[in-house]
Amino acid sequence: MIIVIGAGPAGLAAAEAASRNGSEVALIDSASRLGGQYWRHRESVQGYRSERAGVLFEKVLRAPSITYISEASVWSIERESELFRVNYLQGGNESSLTAEKLIIATGAYDRSLPFPGWDHPGSMTPGAAQALVKGQGVLPGKKVIVAGTGPFLLPVATGLAEAGAEIVGLYDANSPLRWSLSPRALFLNLSKFAELIYYARLLRKYGITPRFNRAVSSFENRKATISRINSDFSLKETGSESHEVDVVAVGWGFLPDVTLGGIVGCQQRVDSDGTTIFSVDADQRSSQKNVWIAGEATGIGGADLSLLEGEIAGLSASGQSIPAPLRSSRYRKQLFANALKKTYPIRDRWQSWPQGATTICRCEEVKLSEISESVSELGAEDSRTAKLFTRAGMGLCQGRICSRNVSEIVAGLTHCVVSNEERIASSNRPIATPISLGQLGDGKK
Amino acid sequence: MSNQVNFTFNGKSISCQKGQSIAAALIASDNRELRATRFGNEPRSIFCGIGVCYDCVVVVNGVANQRSCLIEATDEMNVESTS
Repeated sequence: MIIVIGAGPAGLAAAEAASRNGSEVALIDSASRLGGQYWRHRESVQGYRSERAGVLFEKVLRAPSITYISEASVWSIERESELFRVNYLQGGNESSLTAEKLIIATGAYDRSLPFPGWDHPGSMTPGAAQALVKGQGVLPGKKVIVAGTGPFLLPVATGLAEAGAEIVGLYDANSPLRWSLSPRALFLNLSKFAELIYYARLLRKYGITPRFNRAVSSFENRKATISRINSDFSLKETGSESHEVDVVAVGWGFLPDVTLGGIVGCQQRVDSDGTTIFSVDADQRSSQKNVWIAGEATGIGGADLSLLEGEIAGLSASGQSIPAPLRSSRYRKQLFANALKKTYPIRDRWQSWPQGATTICRCEEVKLSEISESVSELGAEDSRTAKLFTRAGMGLCQGRICSRNVSEIVAGLTHCVVSNEERIASSNRPIATPISLGQLGDGKK
Repeated sequence: MSNQVNFTFNGKSISCQKGQSIAAALIASDNRELRATRFGNEPRSIFCGIGVCYDCVVVVNGVANQRSCLIEATDEMNVESTS
């Protein structure tokens, strides 16, 4: 049997591909519906080329050899000689499943950067705003600013507008002129222009004018300040403006969830933009025998690339041959993913946005001044020591939100660069989701 | 079968649609402040919206640290900001 973890584009494509030769597949996902974060929905998936989702859902639900296990959060994976035991929580109970092969497709979450007020109610990630609208049918607020960087801001802003929100502003810290740095990637992905036109029409329909080289520099008492920024992300002193809004949805690209592959021991590396990802071969195989990894955890690249990687992983894990056109399509999408990283970089001077009193670690309420003092007064020379002194990154989220930021802040304060070892170490967690001792004790084991 | 769910938040009664998360139901009923922090007593609300950040945790039927963005609201559920 093959266990596929995650039912977003990569996991769905993997399960469907593996089932083509009748291989037994268990598809485990924490949500109550198929689709992951990207195809989040209530009744049916909406948005650009969303018909692909319905087709894939139908195939996966109809395939006799696929067992779909929903609302199950995998919290650990153990090895038992040649088998993997996947432990998960479902409806408050602990259960497990064993298989010879694993396909990990656990996706990604929004990256956040701290600024004064980012911890106030109303400040959220674009993913949260999207999840409320698409998954819950609830508007996060009436007046919304969408900001950060990257093309994901477009579906979020237009989706909110479609649902009835007033988009007070759409601000990208980078300029789309940077696409001119990657002519080859654009030429090999001409279909992306259709997607751009799709969003350009929606922006015009809702009267949204994107503005560039700008960032939300503070959010206090529903007042959002938008500052013009330099190319190193330092704030310009002139040209800032303020708006009264209910919500600022600010996101800085994505961080893959590498926890489960890390638990299994799959080799990781640091991508060109500093993100920890998994090393995989041409068949999406990880460094561990019988473990394949597909989607954002092998490099942030979006749904198109995830679908191809998932299909290749599914075919490979089930012993089917992989058609050459699949590989060349994946290559083209990888070029596009690299161009995305080049077009929407995050520059170090974001570190000048938080003030001394700004929260850096939301869980443990650690402020920037405490991290600075751990370096200047207590002599912390690396982020691990700074985290031990301040408890930054040691709360319930296990550092998923702040760990990378703390590493980069400490490196900035000590005039060092964050080493790849530290980037990898700070991206991994001992368990995937908190589990109580009671739940462990009640389990079947 | 009714499509409406009724639960309480800090003693106040809240109605929402069946299938909605606790956080979504509270935001829809204009209860943005889901809890106050332990040390600074600062108000917090939904942040990542997908179960990663644990900022929206509430006490559900006496059980602490439950992510309100993931848990579906059900009838007679007792939701509190702190225990």
